[in-house]
Amino acid sequence: MKLEIFPEKCTGCWLCAAVCSARLAGEFNPSKSAVYVESLLPDKLVIRPYVCIQCDEHPCVESCPVEAIVEDKELGIYVVDKELCTGCGACVEVCPYNGLRLDPVGNYAIKCDVCRGKPRCVEMCPEEVLK
Amino acid sequence: MPGGYVGKILRVDLSGEKTSSEDLNLQWARLFIGGKGLGAKYLYEEAKPGADPLSPDNVLILMTGPLLGTTAPCVPKYAIYTKSPLTGAFLDSYIGGYLGAELKFAGFDAVIIKGKAEKPVYLWISDGKAEIRDAKDLWGLDIHEAEKRIKEKLEDKEVKVAAIGPAGENLVKTACITIDTYRQAGRGGGGAVMGSKNLKAIAVRGHQGVSVPDIEEFIKLSKEITKNDVLTEDNLWAKTDGTPSFLQMVQEGGILPTRNFQMGVFEYANKIDGDAVKKILVRRRACYGCPLGCSSLTQVKEGPFAGTVIEGPDYETLALGGSNCYINDIGAIAKYNLLCDKLGLDVISTGDAIAFAMECYEKGLITKEDTNGLELTFGNVEAYIEMPNLIAYRKAIGDVLAEGVRKAAEKIGKGSDRFAVQVKGLEYPGYEPRGSIGMALAYATSDRGACHMRAWPVNDEVFGDMDPFTTEGKAQLVIDGQDLYCAKWTLVVCDFYAIGYENIARLASAATGWKLTVDDMKVIGERISNLVRMFNVREGFTRKNDTLPYRIANDPLQGGKADGHVVKPADFNKMLDEYYRLRGWDKEGRPTKEKLKELNLI
Repeated sequence: MKLEIFPEKCTGCWLCAAVCSARLAGEFNPSKSAVYVESLLPDKLVIRPYVCIQCDEHPCVESCPVEAIVEDKELGIYVVDKELCTGCGACVEVCPYNGLRLDPVGNYAIKCDVCRGKPRCVEMCPEEVLK
Repeated sequence: MPGGYVGKILRVDLSGEKTSSEDLNLQWARLFIGGKGLGAKYLYEEAKPGADPLSPDNVLILMTGPLLGTTAPCVPKYAIYTKSPLTGAFLDSYIGGYLGAELKFAGFDAVIIKGKAEKPVYLWISDGKAEIRDAKDLWGLDIHEAEKRIKEKLEDKEVKVAAIGPAGENLVKTACITIDTYRQAGRGGGGAVMGSKNLKAIAVRGHQGVSVPDIEEFIKLSKEITKNDVLTEDNLWAKTDGTPSFLQMVQEGGILPTRNFQMGVFEYANKIDGDAVKKILVRRRACYGCPLGCSSLTQVKEGPFAGTVIEGPDYETLALGGSNCYINDIGAIAKYNLLCDKLGLDVISTGDAIAFAMECYEKGLITKEDTNGLELTFGNVEAYIEMPNLIAYRKAIGDVLAEGVRKAAEKIGKGSDRFAVQVKGLEYPGYEPRGSIGMALAYATSDRGACHMRAWPVNDEVFGDMDPFTTEGKAQLVIDGQDLYCAKWTLVVCDFYAIGYENIARLASAATGWKLTVDDMKVIGERISNLVRMFNVREGFTRKNDTLPYRIANDPLQGGKADGHVVKPADFNKMLDEYYRLRGWDKEGRPTKEKLKELNLI
């Protein structure tokens, strides 16, 4: 299962991040979300979300010095084991899709796990930017 | 603690260069909820009666509400509360964008700013802390440049910024505060209040969360309301067309301000309408948490203003900066919009001021000597596009117009007050009351002066079934509108979601955990209307300030459905008498003791 991003329709409402953080952190807190919305206004008319797209090459897995990004065989994707993760940020650096982020206080990487099957951001997005 | 709130208020004393944090007054929160209610309460309690709005004594409050930062649909807004330098009355101005949510993520429900810094400063708020920082190198910069510089200094492009431009620095009474590049606290001169305090900007960044009692239930409710009450016929225009689509509807109703409120229709309306904006549309943009996304990011494609990029122009810009100045070039209006945004000017009041000056010029009351040599006639793009700079930098006639049209008319004299269209000093927005008589009452009794966002009878009189020329039922219509808006601005839901009391109560209850009913929210709405009126009464405002502009009462409107109409003073006074009586206020428009007791205000 993979998320697809259609960035040209993104309006930058952050509802994806709000609803994601509710699940990951139990509160509304976009900085603890696996989705991140970038705006390049006013220099460029670009607004788009970034989230892990579960790419085939997964350089994050290889970059991790403690092997904290592990395969979830059931879902067929790689997820972060928060217990193992030291928050070194190597995976964040190496990801070519800006798909991972560091939790601002928890000292671990945040990576989308497609809500284990029913991604909330997809349901919440008013513009079908995420599918 | 109730949910929704983060529970802290940041206090900033610019004179003493001190900041501190304190608990939100939860007793007041229960009575007033947030936004307009709490903002008005703190302002009423902390403002020194009779204070000069541009003195260190004036208080500037930024207030959010319990829904901000959550998934509640269409709640990106927060507001500033202060005493207006343009009117001397209560001022609240609502802003979309992201800064309001960010303020809560930074750990504060509100910021209360007093005093005056010795030299230019900016305020940096992050994760429960605040610092007053030097802004010497930012002073003088336009707003877009200042915002960019601040983000560079703080090395974080996610920082949200509220800033003033040269207009605010130069204490232009119609100066706005711009937030997140393209959103404004436009009306009433909040930018001048910041300027008078030597406060160039407020920068905010936060990584904390907003909690509600049952987050899964809250999200379910947000989705249900989005589906059944937001993405419906009443609101979908905002998503598909945005506010520019109003222009043809208003034109058809004959209430489009044209040539400084001389006419109700504009012969070139099709050059500046919704379709004209769609032709330059690049993409749509939303504020935080909004499934509608009404804003148009546009780029002018041809003509002398090709390349101009702006979020807008919205309806009010098209009306006051367009038809009211007799400008029919969409590129010029976009450029005007961009200039106002960068310089920090309210597009509504500035459009009115330019239109007023154009009429003065055409009537020979001012000449090229006053206008820096500009041929300031209606429709002259070359002169029009120079005016925002003259006003922001107070050059030539711009210095006079920088005081707003009421004061400008006093200065110019020669009967120009007869076509200075304002109430309490705040210029009229884009709906002509000679073809929608209830608007005359709405403008007259609006707390901050002539405002279309305190009650909007246009919806019933022009777009609905009510007769737009009779006084019947209009007082109650205005009161109902004002109280509903107060409840709405308290939460702080965007204007473009036509929310009713029921969903206001459901969302407020789900966020706070308090059991708030429809009746509770109605009382809260009325309570706020009265509290704000108490503020204005304390500042000396009574019936004499709830006025009908001379032009609206005396000059027959030209063209369109309301051709030949005026709003007769006798009709206006009849509505005003009825309005005061239904409000439970005395004949001078002062809330009675009984009414204030009933509403728990004394």
